[in-house]
Amino acid sequence: MTTATETPTPTPNDASGDPRRTASVIGGGSWGTALAHILGTHGYETLLWMRNEDTVLEVNTQRTNRRYLGDAAIDPGVEATTDLRRAALHAELLLIVVPSKAFREVAFELGNYVTGDQILVSATKGLQEDGMKRMSEILREETCCRKIGALSGPNLAKEVLNGHPTSTVVASAFEEVIAKSERMLSGPRFRLYGNFDIVGVELAGALKNIYAIAGGVAAGLGFAANTQSALITRGLAEMGRFGTRFGADPSTFQGLAGVGDMIATCTSTLSRNHTVGRLLAEGGNLDDIVASLGMVAEGVDTTRVVHQFARRERIYMPIAEAVHRMLFEGATPESALTTLMERASRYEDLDSLIHRGATVSESVVDTARAAAVSRRTD
Amino acid sequence: MRNEIRDAVVTEVQSRILEACLHQAVVPGGMPLDVLVNDTLYHEKKRLEIYTSAPDRDADLAFWGQVKHRLGTAGEADLRRLLQEIVGRFVQEVLGNFRDSVYRLSTTVLPRTLPVLLNAMSPQRLLSKGMPDLSDTIRIEGDVEGLRRAERLGTVILTPTHVSNLDSVVIGWALYAMGLKPFTFGAGLNLFANPVLSFFMRNLGAYRVDRTKTAPLYKDVLKEYATVTLEMGQSQLFFPGGTRARSGFIEQRLKLGLLSSGVHAYINNLIRGRARPRVFVVPCTTSYEVVLEAETLVEDHLKLVGKSRYIITDDESFQPKQILRFFRSVLAMDGRIVLRVADTLDVFGNRVDEEGESIDSRGRRVDISRYVLDDTGRPAHIPQRDRVYVREAGAAVSRAFREHNVVLATNLVAFALFEFLKARHPTMDLYRLLRTGGDGTGIEMGVFAERVRAVAVAVREQTEAGQVHATDTVLEGNPARLIGSALRHYGSYHRNPVIVRRGDRVFAGDMNLLYYYHNRLTGYGLESAAAGEAREVASR
Repeated sequence: MTTATETPTPTPNDASGDPRRTASVIGGGSWGTALAHILGTHGYETLLWMRNEDTVLEVNTQRTNRRYLGDAAIDPGVEATTDLRRAALHAELLLIVVPSKAFREVAFELGNYVTGDQILVSATKGLQEDGMKRMSEILREETCCRKIGALSGPNLAKEVLNGHPTSTVVASAFEEVIAKSERMLSGPRFRLYGNFDIVGVELAGALKNIYAIAGGVAAGLGFAANTQSALITRGLAEMGRFGTRFGADPSTFQGLAGVGDMIATCTSTLSRNHTVGRLLAEGGNLDDIVASLGMVAEGVDTTRVVHQFARRERIYMPIAEAVHRMLFEGATPESALTTLMERASRYEDLDSLIHRGATVSESVVDTARAAAVSRRTD
Repeated sequence: MRNEIRDAVVTEVQSRILEACLHQAVVPGGMPLDVLVNDTLYHEKKRLEIYTSAPDRDADLAFWGQVKHRLGTAGEADLRRLLQEIVGRFVQEVLGNFRDSVYRLSTTVLPRTLPVLLNAMSPQRLLSKGMPDLSDTIRIEGDVEGLRRAERLGTVILTPTHVSNLDSVVIGWALYAMGLKPFTFGAGLNLFANPVLSFFMRNLGAYRVDRTKTAPLYKDVLKEYATVTLEMGQSQLFFPGGTRARSGFIEQRLKLGLLSSGVHAYINNLIRGRARPRVFVVPCTTSYEVVLEAETLVEDHLKLVGKSRYIITDDESFQPKQILRFFRSVLAMDGRIVLRVADTLDVFGNRVDEEGESIDSRGRRVDISRYVLDDTGRPAHIPQRDRVYVREAGAAVSRAFREHNVVLATNLVAFALFEFLKARHPTMDLYRLLRTGGDGTGIEMGVFAERVRAVAVAVREQTEAGQVHATDTVLEGNPARLIGSALRHYGSYHRNPVIVRRGDRVFAGDMNLLYYYHNRLTGYGLESAAAGEAREVASR
């Protein structure tokens, strides 16, 4: 319940025009911790919320989060906490980085504290299984907040933490969300681009994990650049078909959140989803692999959700289907690959009607001719 | 609206628009005042060239001729004076010949005269049943209490679906029946020329919207007029569909004009620290067993895109005889017009609780004033942000339209037959199907009854899930009763039969009308229930 007595009035800018320099990150996994670290280095007093009290202690005393990030040092501006209310009230902008499975529950709890002036940005790349909701949709449903955004791009947490230069996309319908995220997060080694197509950016971020698994399988089978490149390119085509069904702008998939993130996750051994694929190809069993990872590989769940939906809506996604068969239907990587390669040859561009040999057209003469051709070739 | 409020509105609108003109003139890329006057002049001259029978054309020509003349030599002070005159003229046009004394009289008298008027149209009915009670004819359901509460706690924007020019009359009466003060609304100039409806338009407190005026400055005046009246606590009626739904579909692509006035009025109220700052949005649906203008509307819809008319001035609602026919039909039967009030929303599309406080989707209270704070923590207009809010409010209204659509027998029966025919002729495109009505063999009555029953069952399931609403006849789901009721309704008004029953077979009559009445049920996923086995039969 949000009442006037509980929530602080937003602090007015000080004389220099600088807004409140505070931030909160909800979720202390590898990406959440890395984002909190960035905010800390940018001079924001950052609260990092997580459930595990031992990790809170570790972050606050040793400045590490070993389970996720090894020895990497976390900026002293970051304070870990298990108090969600405190984290929610602490800042104007909240980054939400909890696994998609726990996302709704945490969002609901956040909904008890946040107010309509606050900005919520999801940095989780996944889809909710039930109803295939995007994370920003969940934030909208579970809180009173409207200024909601999504952060997605080629951002392997370890590389970011080690200061490798990279870029990412923040998407929102609100200019203000993009501008504030940009102001707080971008720095010499981290560059933000804005995008109004939140649907496309979130779907790209979620779907690329499927192709990261495929990329891992290919690597595990010992295949290199040619294979990866083919997977990435055809994966993007699938993504585009899927995304446009939800009103995403196809050009989003050509950007950092689409092709950018695809290249990073499909080719890097740092990617968990890639690792899942590689271990599968090396003969591992899915349950053991997931257990051994010690963290969530979103791609496994995303594959299931997307596959179900694509099948129902008849969206042509052969690679996603192959990954689904490997993960859940007991197909071996070799057999999945074979089915992929031996499909009837198709055209690159499925959607352009001009090129398709339509069997029935407005012209009766053309229809008759096309029928004659197909009789001959059958 | 009382006279002093009326004067205040005029002054306020005028000063706000002028101030905005001056402010924008100094913004890089803004319009200097002479360009602004010139632009407005251009649009008005163009309009007067095209619409040669526009009301007050001579006076307008004289006015704009004089503007042109003065513009040539105008200095800064002259330009301001010119703009002031132009804006003043627009405001007066919007307001029309509004007389408070007439308004007050008519708002109390009109609701009582409406039944008398209808009565005069149908002497037979008067003889057989006595004075009609409109509550027999217009049924009001839904969250009426919520609407009353919203009106008490703040200012209301009532957003109904729009199928007929009678909507505003029906709603005007309904507001009276619910014990509410009359709402004002913007009505197209064409309605003021309607021989029957102009009576209601002038007297129900409508202000005039001239859709032929394309000057951006005029549109600004209209919007600001709506905003200021909302701020002054005058509740309004606004058809977000923009114009009557030609196809009979539930409108989904909405015009957001007044919703954006709602957001702006709310922010202004906060900035000015008004005591009752809240503006509520209450969607509602009107559903008619038969629609007065059905034939013209659907015919217009089916004309190739681009050829359809936005403003129709010769349809059934402009023909007193046809209106008479319609009311005779309506009064002769029971339960024909349903007005359903949806849940009250705030201007951001949140629902509100029993005390009128906004709540999130989990029922927790929301302090909505925080949505509109700027960086300094004060309420402020931020155009990009506010546009997104308005769009979201619009989405909430569309959802409400779908959920509060009331399924009537005439819709359901038309839907069942049309979808059955469509499934049986999968290779026919829409236009061919409408032209031919299928292969003309009709459906056996038993098969048709089965389809009607299946659709009714599906509708009942969706009603239970809160996805749509329906009348008792529909919920009961007895196919014979549904078909009988639909046929009686069609027959009581339309000259051409919509559905023909011959022996033990049912045939489509007027395909366009069948399509029109069917359209109101599209988008609910009921097609397969209607098609049944027709698809398999067709593929065999």
